[in-house]
Amino acid sequence: MAQTPIWASGVCSGLYAAGSRDVVYVPDNPLSHVVTELGDRYADVGLTLATREEEAFGIAAGLYLGGRRPTVMLQSSGLGNSLNAITSLILPYQIPMLIVVSMRGDAGEWNAAQVPMGRAVRSILDAIGVPHMTIASADAAADAVRLIANTAFGTRQAGACLLPRRVTTS
Amino acid sequence: MSAAAAGHDVVNRLEATRVVVEVAGDAPIVASLGHPAYDLFAAGDRPQNFYTWGSMGVASSIGLGLALARRDVRVFVVDGDGALLMNLGSLATIGLTQPPNLAVVVMDNEAYATTGGQPTPTAHGADLAAAARAMQVEAVAVRTEEELRRGLARGGTTRSAHNAGPIVIVAKVTESSPRTWPPLDCVFIKQRFMTAIGNREPATYNPR
Repeated sequence: MAQTPIWASGVCSGLYAAGSRDVVYVPDNPLSHVVTELGDRYADVGLTLATREEEAFGIAAGLYLGGRRPTVMLQSSGLGNSLNAITSLILPYQIPMLIVVSMRGDAGEWNAAQVPMGRAVRSILDAIGVPHMTIASADAAADAVRLIANTAFGTRQAGACLLPRRVTTS
Repeated sequence: MSAAAAGHDVVNRLEATRVVVEVAGDAPIVASLGHPAYDLFAAGDRPQNFYTWGSMGVASSIGLGLALARRDVRVFVVDGDGALLMNLGSLATIGLTQPPNLAVVVMDNEAYATTGGQPTPTAHGADLAAAARAMQVEAVAVRTEEELRRGLARGGTTRSAHNAGPIVIVAKVTESSPRTWPPLDCVFIKQRFMTAIGNREPATYNPR
């Protein structure tokens, strides 16, 4: 079995330490390390596969209403698919959740179709008012994810961790 | 052919919503934005109503998340045909996860009533019950109050232990032209709802 990358173990331990036991996700290549690790080593974490990112945010909102601390994981290209749910449900109802974004379109990208949204992710999050932090290195992932999640659930607003390609693919 | 022209004892959406509220008892109901939410308010404002004011299409996803988190209660969703058409993938996810305690009632008036009554594809034959079945979700189309009650009973009682599985009920309804609105305060709606279903949001505190 392939070794789980340090950044991926860090995402798992960080979200777990913040009390998240429910992860809703749309598949992504690097994030499969997180999904596999959660499935193998975190038996009490529920994993729900969504067909589209906006749907994932709706499911996460329902989980929160049901008393859980949800995490949504997506590729940055899916942020565009999520905006109506984030801006007209998650934000006005003050529904907290951890958002883990695997970046496309940043340094190391090979696909031109990924670049415009990749470049816009931070500006979009700033414009709609979702706090975000970029994970600086593999070793920093666990603490960053835990702290962002704690702030999200403590202040009742969504918070995003961005995972750059230089962290997830090196 | 429109529901009204089909010659059945068709109910309007408000009447159908009253039936859902009655059957739900004290169980939570999540309503899609616009007319479905307005009719839920008119049918009976209760703390266990979660009114959405945006996120068109996502009501069934909210209901799914709630049903996954709270297996001990039956979760009802009052959706619209235009809204569900925006998020058909939700049916696939409900089929994948098979929450036994989820009942999605699609108020199919074959129109985008909230935006002025433009016809939806269901007015031209698009079949949402067939779509649900194709995604491995039990589904029925109903045209009368009696059929609606039978459909709601098929999903079991309001307590999940007896629920047979998720069900999608496509209720062919006529427009009821609601005149009243639910509360506009989204945080009030959320906190009242969460308290009523036993998930009260605690006051935030300094973790130190």
